[in-house]
Amino acid sequence: MGALVKMDNAATEVRTRQEPEQYLTFLLGGEMFAIGILVIKEIIEFGQVTEVPRMPGCVRGVINLRGAVVPVIDLSVRFGRPVTEPGRRTCIVIVETGEGEARQVIGVMVDAVSEVLEIPQADIEPAPGFGTRIRADFIAGMGKVRGRFVMILNVEQVFLIDEMAGLDTAETQVAH
Amino acid sequence: MNLDDALKTFINESRELLEQMEEALLGIEQQPDDAELINGIFRAAHTIKGSAGLFGLEQIVAFTHVAESVLDRVRDSLLVIDAELVAILLASRDHIGSLIDHLAQGETPDAATHRQGSELTERLHRYLNQTPAAARAAMPVEHAQIPERETGRVADTDNWHISLRFGREVLRNGMDPLAFLRYLGTLGRIVRIVTLTDDIPALSELDAEGCWLGFEIVFSSEADKATIESAFDFVREDSHIRILPPRSRIAEYLRLIDALPNEDMRLGEILVRCGTLTPAELDSMLEMQRQGDATEHAPIGEVLVEQKVVQEPVVEAALVRQKQIKENRNAQNASIRVDSARLDQLINLVGELIIVGSSANLIARQIAHPALLEVTYNMTRMVEEVRDSAMSLRMVQIGATFSRFQRVVHDVAQELGKDIRLEISGGETELDKTVVEKITDPLTHLVRNAMDHGIESRAQRAANGKPEQGVLRLNAWHESGSIVIEVADDGGGLNTEKIRAKAIERGLIAADAGLSEHDIHQLIFAAGFSTADAVSNLSGRGVGMDVVRSNIESLRGSVELLSQAGAGTAVRIHLPLTLAIIDGFLVGVGRERYVIPLETVEECIQFSVTELNLASGEAGYMDLRGEVLPCVRLRDVFDVRHSSATRESIVVVRHGARRVGLVVNALYGELQAVIKPLGRLFEAAQGVGGFTILGDGEVTPVIDVARLIELSAGPLHSRAGGLPAAA
Amino acid sequence: MAKTIMIVDDSATLRQVVSIALKGAGYDVLEASDGKDALARLTGQKVHLVISDVNMPNMDGLTFVTEMKKLPAYKFTPVIMLTTEAGADKKAQGQAAGAKAWVVKPFQPAQMLAAVSKLVLP
Repeated sequence: MGALVKMDNAATEVRTRQEPEQYLTFLLGGEMFAIGILVIKEIIEFGQVTEVPRMPGCVRGVINLRGAVVPVIDLSVRFGRPVTEPGRRTCIVIVETGEGEARQVIGVMVDAVSEVLEIPQADIEPAPGFGTRIRADFIAGMGKVRGRFVMILNVEQVFLIDEMAGLDTAETQVAH
Repeated sequence: MNLDDALKTFINESRELLEQMEEALLGIEQQPDDAELINGIFRAAHTIKGSAGLFGLEQIVAFTHVAESVLDRVRDSLLVIDAELVAILLASRDHIGSLIDHLAQGETPDAATHRQGSELTERLHRYLNQTPAAARAAMPVEHAQIPERETGRVADTDNWHISLRFGREVLRNGMDPLAFLRYLGTLGRIVRIVTLTDDIPALSELDAEGCWLGFEIVFSSEADKATIESAFDFVREDSHIRILPPRSRIAEYLRLIDALPNEDMRLGEILVRCGTLTPAELDSMLEMQRQGDATEHAPIGEVLVEQKVVQEPVVEAALVRQKQIKENRNAQNASIRVDSARLDQLINLVGELIIVGSSANLIARQIAHPALLEVTYNMTRMVEEVRDSAMSLRMVQIGATFSRFQRVVHDVAQELGKDIRLEISGGETELDKTVVEKITDPLTHLVRNAMDHGIESRAQRAANGKPEQGVLRLNAWHESGSIVIEVADDGGGLNTEKIRAKAIERGLIAADAGLSEHDIHQLIFAAGFSTADAVSNLSGRGVGMDVVRSNIESLRGSVELLSQAGAGTAVRIHLPLTLAIIDGFLVGVGRERYVIPLETVEECIQFSVTELNLASGEAGYMDLRGEVLPCVRLRDVFDVRHSSATRESIVVVRHGARRVGLVVNALYGELQAVIKPLGRLFEAAQGVGGFTILGDGEVTPVIDVARLIELSAGPLHSRAGGLPAAA
Repeated sequence: MAKTIMIVDDSATLRQVVSIALKGAGYDVLEASDGKDALARLTGQKVHLVISDVNMPNMDGLTFVTEMKKLPAYKFTPVIMLTTEAGADKKAQGQAAGAKAWVVKPFQPAQMLAAVSKLVLP
């Protein structure tokens, strides 16, 4: 038991803390992902994004969200995949991570949002240590929906500010 | 009343108190600042005096009073307690003890005790700035009798007339109006009383705890005026009280009526109803009023003194007090305290206003409607004024911050055994309050550093033919839209070779790096750099010049060091005047747009390919009226895609002593930019100092010119603490 | 029923003398040796007047009056403060705290009786 918890430390922590029943599912590079709806503030159409010079590739730029400047993350690049080409169904999912001082509102660029689903805790399995082609610590669990697996993202890990800002070299480490 | 038992209590208690007093007096020399000890001594004397007074023991009261007065001055820190004073106080204590002993024996004090007493009294008086005579004069004066005055018609009554208007707070202060009337009844006979309820407001507005009552009283008494007045001692300050003796002149009744807040006619009737005045007397009084008696408009204070209702000194004191209150109020009007969060909110709103205003401007230009253009032009001007006034609310002079360093310099100089004078100039220079708050720590570090490392020891200064006293200068001035704060010393200057050696040793620069002296000096701002051989007590406690630099950069400022061997060092801090709103210059590169802070822009130059030797991807130079101007393509620095080089312009920007030409594609002109902070994700962004939202709603980066110049100058100046080894 | 007066002073002599005088005039008397003691003794019974010294150990008179006025039962209880001639600033503080009546020390029992009877007749 101890070993299992240790191995799956981050995922267990997130699940027990939030225990979201409802998830937003979306498509990215042909794969289905999910984010707990509790962190999602809104979903907007992909529009004018201003590039910020000299930032790592996963930082697509910034948008004006009713007077606030919100950074937009290219999730595909964050996962070590190619740059997202905006299409007709491209969206920006606005999520809020962290608390207090560390609170941060981030826009996440995805190919298309699908639906809001209820995934019972029983249908969620721990993330496999390998075989997912994205970093294991990004995945909180694998949800089983209508016979398909959906990768539930560990939001806190995926949107680690220091990593995305390029202060950390983790992003490049995944490339192997 | 048998006080024999009480007298025994007094004797016992006094002896106890005298013992405590002796103990405290013996301890006080070791702890002259012990306020509780001093207070204890005072209280002992005070209690003995008070208790003795109860028994009418005048001798003890008089002597203890003098001792108490001296102790009171000690308590108020007007007198310093020393060995001599302790000796006198001990002798005084002994004297009180012997007076008590005599009392206990049932004897009157002998001549020797008397002599001792007067001798001690005289010695104690030397500690008071008053002679005994003056002290006596300061005692309350006797109430003066009402003088007989010039003739005039006199009211035909043998009764006193008392007008009472109780203050609103009287009940809340625990005073019962009825109790005063009952007490008055013990001094004579209340002939008639009229209760005034005119002031009571409607029930819905009634403050039920307030006192709304007034009384007009006809009073028959043999007592003198002071005695009658004293009945109202405890409410006199809050209430209107007028007392007219029997057979007062009609004119005085008139004044009484004038002085009271109620309606004149009604009061006159009340006086008649009370029987104080006859109807004929009232008529005569009203006649006087019609004739416009000069006293009608006399200030209430004068009227009261004339009537001897209040003693003259009392009125004077009250007038002085009134004046003080008025002055205080004026001072309060001159400035008000506002929560800085509310100011920030105002400035945010002004920021939003500017954004909306520039949208309107943009649309007006697109529509090109002359009247609309006129209106938006005027609006823009007004908004600019609003912005400037809003910003000026947060501006404070830096002088107060500078002055605080007097103490620091004094203390640190003593600690170091150096003689250092602080010279302050430019204290009236204004900057944003938030900037002032954040600049104090870096300034303190720079000041300490200059005193510790900059200014040489006395001996060394003497050997170098300099005056022994070192000079530290704090100066501030405005320069091209920013404020410059300078910390300068007249010390030995930086040792260039030592810094170079250390930088090589630390791997900060390559051994063969060809750096100018000025560049080498800036190396002390690199992380973990310290030139002091010995880590002294003052500097080198972990906070280095690199922290100073990053503190200042977080304020969108920069720091520069100028040093001349043997003559001194100056550190110049460049700071923006404000952090919230700037005047900007909008430029375009490819499809991207950037705002350059206008204060950094020197000029814009039409670009001609032949003038600029600038291949893609590298820095170049151009001849600007005979001077070499390093140039860089913003496209390259910021790695902008989709950039067409069909048209190019150069924006010459300056920071501190350095100028760079930025090559851009389009010049869009000036605008006001509300700075949105970078946020955590972009904190480490290079060359971008913030964002702003343009009139069309698009977010645009605001260029951090200082950092951009570093970036474009090549790897040497790339990152804070970076100063990479590869040169 | 006799009116109750509380006398708060650290001097036992003063309490005793004032108490004798007040009882002689027909008042009931409660005694307390300082502000803390006085607050402890104010347990809800009717007190018609409080006489309090200013300078006392443990809790001074001004603090005591301020605290007492916070108790609903004693919000309107009148207070006579005992002061010295030198206490002008104390007097201002005391007035702010709600103590409007002052008697200057040293006083004779008859003076105290007169002051008391202006506020509360026995």
